[in-house]
Amino acid sequence: MDWHLLGLSFITVFLAELGDKSQLAAIALSGANAKFPRAVFLGTIAALILASFLGVIVGEGTAQVLPARLAKEIAAAGFAIMAVRLLWFSQDSESAE
Amino acid sequence: MPSPEISLPSLPPSQLIESEPSESIALELETSLGSAPTQSWEFWKVFGSTFVTIFLAELGDKTQVATLLMSAQSQNPWVVFAGAASALVATSLVGVLVGRWLCTRLSPKTLETATGMILLVISALLIWDVARM
Repeated sequence: MDWHLLGLSFITVFLAELGDKSQLAAIALSGANAKFPRAVFLGTIAALILASFLGVIVGEGTAQVLPARLAKEIAAAGFAIMAVRLLWFSQDSESAE
Repeated sequence: MPSPEISLPSLPPSQLIESEPSESIALELETSLGSAPTQSWEFWKVFGSTFVTIFLAELGDKTQVATLLMSAQSQNPWVVFAGAASALVATSLVGVLVGRWLCTRLSPKTLETATGMILLVISALLIWDVARM
């Protein structure tokens, strides 16, 4: 086991992700779904681990294989929809409950 | 030589309290069985939406680029994967704990506004990423 390489990759990724948008998303989503912090945590780590797994197996060809631009556009739309639902429609759902 | 008299403190009559078997366990079982199907459905809905949005947002992100660069340069990519994966677990655990802490501190209305604003900021950051591609 190459502990030096393990530590290096841990620290690099940890510092890169600290305060990045995926961590912001984890904060916001666990605030929005306060009943299920565990679901938010498991969903987040599953997505991040799969993304870095793809990074390792695909290697240099990621840009050609995965349509990252389209994926980001869909994700942007998804976050915007969640934001709009929270900001404008939350009062309606509360009264319905 | 006078032997010192040792006086034992007189023990009071045994006052052992018989512990009665509690009935709360049975009650807890009943209440937890109440709305199990809808609870787990809600859980998987939250899990799914979190997974899809974060996965799509992270594709081609700088973390992924760093991971593949390091794994390409080193002989053993799985060590890089192990390091990157555990770092991502650590940062998202911190994120969720901060979120839970905010839940206890802010009123529901303020929390909704704040999380809505953060989600808008994330959306704007992603559009900024796309624009620079």
